[in-house]
Amino acid sequence: MPYLVSFHLGWLIGSLLLGFCMGWISVVQRGNGTSKVAARWFAVLAAGLLAASLAHVVPGRFGYWLDLGLIMFACYLVGCTIGAWLRHRVVARTAPPAAV
Amino acid sequence: MQKLFSWASKWWPGLIPLAVMWGFAAWNNTLPVEADLSARSSAALKDTVLDKTRITVDGRDVSLAADAFSEEGRRDAVMAVETVPGVRLVDDRTRLVPEAKPFVWNAERDVVRVTLSGSAPLPSMKARLTEAARKEVGGVEVADRMGLARGAPPRFEAAAMLLLDQIGKLKDGKITITDTKVNLSGMARELGGREAIAAALKNLPEGFSIAANEIKAPPYIFQAYKDPVAATVTLTGYVPDNNVHAAIATSASRKFTEKAVDNLKASIGAPGSFNTAVIAALGALSRLSTGTLVVSDREVKLSGDALYEGAANEIRAGLGKDFPKNWQYKPEITVKPAAGPVDGTVCQQLFSELLTKSKIRFANKRADIDPDSVGILDRLIETALRCPTTNVEVVGHTDGDGEDAFNQALSEKRAQAVIDYLVKAGLPASRFTAVGHGSTQPVAGNDTDEGKAQNRRIEFLVR
Repeated sequence: MPYLVSFHLGWLIGSLLLGFCMGWISVVQRGNGTSKVAARWFAVLAAGLLAASLAHVVPGRFGYWLDLGLIMFACYLVGCTIGAWLRHRVVARTAPPAAV
Repeated sequence: MQKLFSWASKWWPGLIPLAVMWGFAAWNNTLPVEADLSARSSAALKDTVLDKTRITVDGRDVSLAADAFSEEGRRDAVMAVETVPGVRLVDDRTRLVPEAKPFVWNAERDVVRVTLSGSAPLPSMKARLTEAARKEVGGVEVADRMGLARGAPPRFEAAAMLLLDQIGKLKDGKITITDTKVNLSGMARELGGREAIAAALKNLPEGFSIAANEIKAPPYIFQAYKDPVAATVTLTGYVPDNNVHAAIATSASRKFTEKAVDNLKASIGAPGSFNTAVIAALGALSRLSTGTLVVSDREVKLSGDALYEGAANEIRAGLGKDFPKNWQYKPEITVKPAAGPVDGTVCQQLFSELLTKSKIRFANKRADIDPDSVGILDRLIETALRCPTTNVEVVGHTDGDGEDAFNQALSEKRAQAVIDYLVKAGLPASRFTAVGHGSTQPVAGNDTDEGKAQNRRIEFLVR
């Protein structure tokens, strides 16, 4: 893991930034997003891939690509969370005078 | 938390650029990751002892193929690669090097190179053995054809090193270790080399033993070359000790009118009766006008030109009888082309010259010709053959010791003995007259040994 992070640091920061932007947008975006069912299926898929990665069942280069994809996805999620949370703080601070 | 889920449901569009980034990242980094892991794995294996190591990396999975020299070494190698940061899985394709049974190691020397073959237990030992061989034979090519195998006996390296020390003492030959048995064959480089090797083998490490030591000593060679142009007899090769050396040198100075150049070296290993055989052979060489004598172990080769046909026949036939049993004699005697005839005056001059340079020796107080004088007699006969029409007076003289009557009789008998020898060699008796003067015509004082020696003489006078 530390090896993967240090070797692909640029790409992971990229994923993080991408996530940050996506999170930033998601707070104020209107619309319904994905359905709960789709989200659950997606979560199951992600968990399955994670399990496959930890169990080292995928051989060779595919295994490496899977690990890389998962770690980039994790960074993306972290970025999204930070972005969404920060945007939420910004929105919350500017919203109260309008409500008064 | 509720909000987080609602935001998260809107994060999916970012997955599309993320997938594209992922694709690029995989495209760009796969080969560098593989190269990096391969380099790190090789570095991790640097301190392990392996042969034929092959590392292939597929993604982050390392396939390690190698020959290990022990089960433990094999385990350590796999573990070393497993602990390399970044390596995900190790495909263990290592195996133990085959065990050699019996464990055989050879060192072979020929004219141009030393070849090491058979098995060595470890790569480092293989390198050390090659290096030791190089040092031992300095300058000669060393070919390393050793393979690697398990199953070497304990203290193998010490034994092999000791045997490599001996390879320098060999001219050619082969040394083999088969498990703990040592075989040696070949020829020592120098006299005494065989004995030195046998002595060194006593220090073989415990457990090793000599199965066969067939190292031969080089031939014991003695050579003499008679060069009439430079008027020298060159003696080269070996003699057993200083006493024999002195005996041979004295004999050479008595037999040859030429100057003896003595390049003999003392060395052990002479065949039995060396002294007798060499002195007899030198006597034969002294009868040749030009010739080479080679004594190699128990074989005597004499080649050259005799002064006349009779001498050639005598040398061919006679010398073999003088040698001890189980010696071989190989004469290659030709006859020197007869020199042109000369008149009496020149003949007289030639006789005088010969008898000044050397003299005919006799047994003490007797008329028996000393065998050392056959050389000078052959030359006198050759000269007499060049002036066949002349008559020659052979005159005997003695020193002043003893009674006059005895000396007179002795001088006559000695002169007659010389004539008998000439006649036996084929000259007509009618050409020679024996005359004795006893001690009446001294050429030097009779008060010193030197003077007496000069007075005891035979003269040839052409009439």
